[in-house]
Amino acid sequence: MRRDLLLTAGVGLLFLAVWQAIVLIGGYPPYILPSPFAVAGRLASAAGTGILFPHLLTTLVEIALGLALGVSTALLLGFLLARSRLADRLLSPYLVAAQATPILALAPVIVLWFGSGLLSKVLICALICFFPMVVATTVGLRSIDPRLVELARSLRATQRQLIRTIEVPAALPQILGGLKVAVTLSVVGAIVAEWAGGDRGLGVLINLARGSLFDIPLMFATLVVIAGLGVTLYLLVVLVERRLVGAPHQRS
Amino acid sequence: MLDRVRLAVPEGGVVAVVGPSGCGKSTLLRIVAGLLSLDGGTVRLLGDPVTGPDARVGLVFQEPRLLPWRSARENVAYPLELRGVPRAERLARADELLASVGLDGFGDARPAQLSGGMAQRVGLARALVLAPPVLLLDEPFGALDALTRDRLDAELLGLWERAGSTIVLVTHSIPEAVFLADRVVVLSPRPGRVVAEIPVALPRPRRWADLDGVESGRAAAAIRRALEESADPEAGE
Amino acid sequence: MDRRRSPLAAALAATLGLAVLGAGAVTAQDASSAPAPVPLRVGLGYIPSVQFAAFYLADAAGYYRDAGLDVTFENKIDPELITLIGQGAVDIGMGDGTSVIPARSQGIPVRYAATIYADFPSVVFAKASSGIASPADLAGRSLGIPGKFGTSWVMLQALLGSAGLTPDDLEIVLYPDFGQGAAVGADAVDSATGFANNEPVRLALTGEEVTVLRVDDIVPLPGPGLVVGDATLAAKGDALRAFVAATTRAMAEIAEDPQRGIDAAFARIPELAAEPEAQRAVLEATIAGWSNAYTEANGYGAIDPAAWGATIDFLSGLPESPVAGPVSVEDVITQDLLTVEE
Repeated sequence: MRRDLLLTAGVGLLFLAVWQAIVLIGGYPPYILPSPFAVAGRLASAAGTGILFPHLLTTLVEIALGLALGVSTALLLGFLLARSRLADRLLSPYLVAAQATPILALAPVIVLWFGSGLLSKVLICALICFFPMVVATTVGLRSIDPRLVELARSLRATQRQLIRTIEVPAALPQILGGLKVAVTLSVVGAIVAEWAGGDRGLGVLINLARGSLFDIPLMFATLVVIAGLGVTLYLLVVLVERRLVGAPHQRS
Repeated sequence: MLDRVRLAVPEGGVVAVVGPSGCGKSTLLRIVAGLLSLDGGTVRLLGDPVTGPDARVGLVFQEPRLLPWRSARENVAYPLELRGVPRAERLARADELLASVGLDGFGDARPAQLSGGMAQRVGLARALVLAPPVLLLDEPFGALDALTRDRLDAELLGLWERAGSTIVLVTHSIPEAVFLADRVVVLSPRPGRVVAEIPVALPRPRRWADLDGVESGRAAAAIRRALEESADPEAGE
Repeated sequence: MDRRRSPLAAALAATLGLAVLGAGAVTAQDASSAPAPVPLRVGLGYIPSVQFAAFYLADAAGYYRDAGLDVTFENKIDPELITLIGQGAVDIGMGDGTSVIPARSQGIPVRYAATIYADFPSVVFAKASSGIASPADLAGRSLGIPGKFGTSWVMLQALLGSAGLTPDDLEIVLYPDFGQGAAVGADAVDSATGFANNEPVRLALTGEEVTVLRVDDIVPLPGPGLVVGDATLAAKGDALRAFVAATTRAMAEIAEDPQRGIDAAFARIPELAAEPEAQRAVLEATIAGWSNAYTEANGYGAIDPAAWGATIDFLSGLPESPVAGPVSVEDVITQDLLTVEE
């Protein structure tokens, strides 16, 4: 575990070194490719002068609410689809159609219908993480070892007990896998939603930095924050996964 | 697929069911366990007709069928949990059972960390946790190596002697059947019919050494002959 | 193996042979004809439009060619264009005056070299029936804007500031799809920001009486104009000067006879011919925007350093100032490309 951390840190440092080298060798000015130091410095100053935090908070709220909505509806729908062949046949084509339409194209339409406030952002975010979660839930529930279900039957478990003690825990690894995808997508969704119309948020900050302020180091710094946000959310799910399902080497 | 099987198992007795693959011995067990329904005929368990899974039956499957996300202790406690027994009490009882199958101290282990034999013991402990009067075992040690199987058979006998339950064991292993059972039922190939019921007159308590004796040889020979004849009615004349 | 290699080798030999021949042909060409025209990559706004008629006319009438220039037009959005100009990937282009100041303060080496829009084109407009006649009247009213950034945001703050107001005193409605003009027409908002030669013109064409609030008398913000990079200025100064002269000549000719501008634009963008009346109105509004008191005195393209000084002060004083570091007028403009005619 420690070795993995060192390795990751090492790769990270290598990346920064290569970046710095490219800037030096290419002689790029900060408004084309700022150096890691310039970006770090701008990040610190943006955080310090309070520019960053309000935008970060707005995007976090959008993601939190979007995930809550998207994941909960996906779990319910996934459960329904796994249980009912009929529901699966009826709804699957629409689900696939919804997924096939790129969020980038849908977002402006959603903003048009729901305004450029928080609601449209939450909806767009929820939409982008919905499909992967549904698929993961359905696959997880369908892949349950039928022998375990027979075991529960032989012990006269009620339907609710079956769901709680066998189905949910058995599907959990897949569901958490879907959740990992969902949280990273939710960050994308929030940014796309903000670009479709918003006056605050990390996506808006990118536009401001680029179009109004011509502050490219700030734009890069915002990108770093966005990436950091995605990574943090992902790691949070990994932590939850460890606690609920156990670390990879512990699982059968 | 079974055909006109008539079988009576005395209370407190051990009956082994042997037969070639596909003869329906597992099906027979499932019907008794209430997991499959009958096309015709009746099954009575302890005097009552079987309508579904019964709490008085402990079931040991061919594979351990442990919930991989639970510890050994929590797996053994599972039947108690389904009946609403409070947590502390059911975990304590699980520990008792684990000790009785020789897994004292392994309560926290996850199924992935256990060997085949140990996992099957956990399965056995789970089947015993409700102290069922009837124990049904479907080739419980078939996936294990012969030495482990022998050891577990001996332990099973030990548990049976202490608990006095009725045991029906499905197996392919003739030595195992002879070692454990009072009576060995031989089924023909599909559709399974009872072709022989061979009593095993070995005294109890039994030792593995008994398998080298005359009586076990006689019983094993009889079982083999019955199997051969049912496979090919012309042979064995 | 050998059989597979020879077709490849043959192909390589052929390509090399062609290249050599080609090079030979080019050198032969150079020796025989006049100096090759200077290529210029010219960046225009995001959507081709009749407002660029002067460029289209200068191109179609051969003014660029006669000046020894080989001009190609590219359509880009403003932030991209400024960066490309700074890098030298685009030689000269139409950029917002108000973008040059923040860009320079961030170290992007660009300069404003010729005024095209003398009047600041970003305006606030409303139906006359709304009762909005001055910036003060906007208090408590609704206003549509594409977003809270860019030139329209700067203009709005200047406009409101003159009446002692801030954007918080209004009900701002966002139209990220740039539908704020239609919204005014549909009475969804009381007022909106727009371009002087676009939304208010179209609204007037529907028969409405339109009030336009301009910022020129409040803060003399510089409108869009030709922007160059420092490096390109040094390397291609003469060519750029010729370009500016040809362009301002076309502007003068269109001001005299707008039909020539219409013809050049329609030839270039046939789709515009679908609404000739509207395009004519847009062009006339554009022509009106090309001149103010300063350019009438000093000619098309002339840059007013005093106006730029006032603008730098204004932008630096905004609550979230886009001016990152101290910037002087000499940093952001150049008069090198302007030919003074007597």
